[in-house]
Amino acid sequence: MKNTIKMLNKSLLASSIAMLLSSGMALAKSDDFHKLYQDNCASCHGSDHGGYLAPALNSATLKGRSPTALRTIVMAGSFDTLMPPFYGRLDDDEIRGVIKHLQETPKQPNPAWTIDDMKKSLKVYVKDESTLPTKPTFQIDDKFENLIGVAARGKYGRGEGSKAIFINSSTHQKVGEVPTGTAAHIIDFNPANPRWAYVKTDTAEIFKVDLYSMQAVRSIKTGWNGPGMGVSRDGKYIMAGSFVPHNAVILNADTLEPLKTFELEGIDPDGKHVSSDSGMIIGTPYADIFAIALENAGQVWVIDLNKEGFPVTRIEKVGRHLHDAFLTHGGKKLMIASYDDSIVAAIDLEKREIIKKLEAGCVPHVGGGSAVKVDGRTLGFGTNFGDCDKTVVSVWDLDKMEVVKQVPVSGGTESPAAHANAPYVAVDIISKDRRARTVQLIDKKTLEVARTLDVGGHAYFPEYSADGKFLYISAGYNGDEVVVYDSNTLQKVASVPMESPAGIFSRGRVKYMTRGLSPDEMEQSK
Amino acid sequence: MKMTHFIVSLLAGLMATGSAQATSLYVGQAKAGAVCAQCHGIRMPSADAPFPPLGGRDPEYLKTAIKQYRDKTRKSDIMNAIAGSLTDAEINDIAAYYGSVKP
Repeated sequence: MKNTIKMLNKSLLASSIAMLLSSGMALAKSDDFHKLYQDNCASCHGSDHGGYLAPALNSATLKGRSPTALRTIVMAGSFDTLMPPFYGRLDDDEIRGVIKHLQETPKQPNPAWTIDDMKKSLKVYVKDESTLPTKPTFQIDDKFENLIGVAARGKYGRGEGSKAIFINSSTHQKVGEVPTGTAAHIIDFNPANPRWAYVKTDTAEIFKVDLYSMQAVRSIKTGWNGPGMGVSRDGKYIMAGSFVPHNAVILNADTLEPLKTFELEGIDPDGKHVSSDSGMIIGTPYADIFAIALENAGQVWVIDLNKEGFPVTRIEKVGRHLHDAFLTHGGKKLMIASYDDSIVAAIDLEKREIIKKLEAGCVPHVGGGSAVKVDGRTLGFGTNFGDCDKTVVSVWDLDKMEVVKQVPVSGGTESPAAHANAPYVAVDIISKDRRARTVQLIDKKTLEVARTLDVGGHAYFPEYSADGKFLYISAGYNGDEVVVYDSNTLQKVASVPMESPAGIFSRGRVKYMTRGLSPDEMEQSK
Repeated sequence: MKMTHFIVSLLAGLMATGSAQATSLYVGQAKAGAVCAQCHGIRMPSADAPFPPLGGRDPEYLKTAIKQYRDKTRKSDIMNAIAGSLTDAEINDIAAYYGSVKP
């Protein structure tokens, strides 16, 4: 505690000194502020100043904004968002300087990150993987299924608080922490070999993690920003896609060496040729392919992994501003959300064509999606940001491909969780007021909200344990814990403290493909 | 009869003292989440933050310190501004909440 106070005094001292020297600071070059932006802001606001998880900060978006008001936001942070307070981390001249710099800097043209840059960024932490332990070094079930990974962002989206944290979901004890430098965003598990997981950060690094010894063995930087990542069904390839720059790459999952990059561009649904952010990337249990969404181009590309040169099949005019998706029918069908058309498009990955576009509330964000079997029907659940009066969770019959119901919920939603053995589909309410503390539970049979849980903080990203017995929920920023509930009684059973937890990923996902389906569904596809 | 009367007045007395000093951890947590946690964390500040931890500290000390910041007898631009709008009851709730947190 004393150390922290000392640090605070030091930083106050530092800023007083900086103030005394402020005439010197005025000479600071815009290069310095560019670096300051990259080191403190870019992981959320985008390396190209074009926005990412957080708004775009450039001369156009900040035009006419009061520097004093902006300074207050930077110093004190912004409540109900991930924006932390930079008071004490940046001194006043730095804050004033970076604001001036941002108000003068236009959005940057797509900054390059080539296959050579990727190769140079490859880091090896464990040279000889044969020296790693042959089984988990901690207590867990024999099948190694009850493992849950949490992307802990850390308050500042970087630093000591940024980690992938792993929990034994039968005891609710932390079993490992892997530092990631910047905010962890996605955790994928290798479907073929249980020991490997892959963690992608907001600054597009991918860490190959040995789950038996809970450490990173390799890492590579695949771009500047972007969460997209998928693993092939044989566990041999990873595909990663970026917001900045507009490209994607296929990596060797074993060595993380980049094999081929793809420039993401194409004709959008309005007939314009555009360069595009990468949306979701997914491997499927039914074939050796990846599917990737091109957000701005409104296309889904299917990439064949066992053909020379990884050829691409383009499915065009899927929808405006595509984002995330989930699989159904043994992985042969893909349900992909289009923000701007407020639809979810069903795609046949075998025929490589659009089956149908289904109504999906306002600005659908399906998260990892969910699908459950109820009374002989397979029902898909889709959350949406609900940027309009209608806040609903869409339920689709995935065999008939039609809307069954739009279930009214109390606000916008971001991610549904379901499990074959659990009675409720959990959806996180993200509307920026007291509702953000809550998660609502939809009864699978009645398709109505049965309960509302007051989780606290900014509760999001629910996930069931692999056996379906427990529901894990991130209390997010200002919650700083993952809260665990009994799936049936909905009694709180545990709390796991950590800094700004976000996405939760059960290792069970490799077994049931889409959350809520039984493992039998995967068997059908083989 | 007398006994009943005694019990009633005892209960009334207890309730009066209770309500005069009542602090609510739940209200305190909600207020801390809205006012303090952005810097000091809902339990602990970020590992990377330069802010002092409040969790587990003596509630009396916290009350005194926040009131001093509010009344500007202790100077800090940012803390004077943030504490400025808090009522005595809110300060008591916040102090009781952080005091109850195990660091």
